[in-house]
Amino acid sequence: MAAPVSNLIATSGRKSLLSFALPYLLIAPTLLFVLVFTLYPTVGSAVASTFKPGRTPETPATFVALQNYADLFNSEHFLGSRFVQILVNTFSFASLTIIFSVGLAFLFALLCNRQIRARGVWRFGLFHPALLPLIGAASLWAFIFADTIGLAAVVTRGLGLVNPSWLGADTVLISVSMVNIWKQASYYTIFYLAALQALPTDIYEAADLEGATYFQKLWFFTIPLLRRTTFFIIVVAGTFAVQTVEHLSALGQGGPGDTSNLLLYFIYQVLPERRNWGYVNAMTMIMVGVLLVFTMSNLLFFEGKKQEAA
Amino acid sequence: MSKKRYPWDTRFADLLTLLLAFAWASPMLFSILISFRPANEPLTEGNIFFGSRLTLENYRAALSLAPWGIHYLNSVIFVLGTLAVQVVTITMAGYAFARLKFFGRNFLLLVVLLQVMIPSGVLLAQNLATIRALGLFNTHFGMMVVYWGSAFGVLLMRQAFRAVPVEYEEAARIDGANVWQLFRHVYLPLTIPTYVAFAIVSISAHWNEFLWPLIATQSESVRPLTVGLNKLVQSTEVGALYHQLMAGTLMVIAPLVLMFIIFQRKFIESFAQSGLK
Repeated sequence: MAAPVSNLIATSGRKSLLSFALPYLLIAPTLLFVLVFTLYPTVGSAVASTFKPGRTPETPATFVALQNYADLFNSEHFLGSRFVQILVNTFSFASLTIIFSVGLAFLFALLCNRQIRARGVWRFGLFHPALLPLIGAASLWAFIFADTIGLAAVVTRGLGLVNPSWLGADTVLISVSMVNIWKQASYYTIFYLAALQALPTDIYEAADLEGATYFQKLWFFTIPLLRRTTFFIIVVAGTFAVQTVEHLSALGQGGPGDTSNLLLYFIYQVLPERRNWGYVNAMTMIMVGVLLVFTMSNLLFFEGKKQEAA
Repeated sequence: MSKKRYPWDTRFADLLTLLLAFAWASPMLFSILISFRPANEPLTEGNIFFGSRLTLENYRAALSLAPWGIHYLNSVIFVLGTLAVQVVTITMAGYAFARLKFFGRNFLLLVVLLQVMIPSGVLLAQNLATIRALGLFNTHFGMMVVYWGSAFGVLLMRQAFRAVPVEYEEAARIDGANVWQLFRHVYLPLTIPTYVAFAIVSISAHWNEFLWPLIATQSESVRPLTVGLNKLVQSTEVGALYHQLMAGTLMVIAPLVLMFIIFQRKFIESFAQSGLK
């Protein structure tokens, strides 16, 4: 069956119907999955966020316009009283993870990109968290953070220091951010390492001849030349920071109170109850909005400076 | 032969690498040690590293807490089932976007790219409703189907196919190659590294997937390892049974870490390639 198909295209003096349809047939499966599981749910969420669900599956939903959004920002409301703090948590968590994981990744890549004995071993030490499921990473850290019997508690006691209650209200958001930073820094190291290895060597040789120091070369060549990589990593880190919430499941489940709760985890928590569905969709839309603005602004920022096409 | 110089700044950088690598690996190293300690023996008893004796009882306890064999199998089905369909869809779409001219190409590419900006993991509620409506709730298909179209994979293959000289395709066509032969003998041999890279990235991502498999399923018979691990986390936190939790966690993460140790170079290249869009 395949042979006549390609012959039709190959000998296309005349445009056959098939050669016209072929590209669409080829992209149809991808397009179908993207439409059904990305585009449709986005639009569906936008629509559903303006309705209040009926009490039972039989009663129809009522249109409430933007009331769900207003409720989320109303501190008297049963979800609104929690939502603003969770939104703030999400931003703090995202900023902490982006800044520290990208910074550390850059440092790791610089260190790994040198000649050093047993390089593979050190690399493995720095890379392996990237391979762990976040829930697994969190479970390893659960023992570190555990009160009195945990590793951090034993070490701080041994040093004669006061052990903070890692998963207590004051520090839990920082603790869960640490777990994410630990894992993501390893992942972004790989991107930086690849970019470092692709840098042109001649300018560094020239700089060496001029007697430039290591930090001069770093500041004037390496950092500017890695700008595209940095922006790419920041975009990835931003999308990840919104999506990666499963470590909460092993580290306090968003508590105590909502002190470490994050938006997507909150959605997952309140999803089972029917009366929350309007709010769940409104929160999803807020999350999608933040993601779009974040990605688009970064894209505009560095696509504008990009020279080559693809 | 003169002795190699070992300047102080290199020494410092080497030391920093060592310290950071050790610090980064310490959660893993300590969990390994703890998993072999007698159950619930605190760190302050016995040797701080090795406890009073080494034992496998935590592993035995962790093994009995969940049907790990079934979870392993489900993870393998989930990961390979996702990858198998993705490879087909990204090959087709990647080729179309790389080599064919058609009306609306850029617009359709943009539609596909939406998926990069709005990951399906964020759209939990609506996708759950869709899965239920399709009768796929609590099935392997339900877990996989949301990942079957991959914008990232399409981009990757589009780039790979564009790097193949057009003349190769024309030459093969003149020799009368059909679509399958064209793919099998011209494109595939030249793009195998990209497929390997995609496979590694896809497998590691889905092996570690958690939130979606958790809400898209209900029974242990279809749930993957990560969800099984979560159950272990929830049940051990209550009794502070951290030793067996470490044993369980290590069993779950071992396969991917072992794969990485064996294919370290390939892994790093693949992850790196996924960033060079």
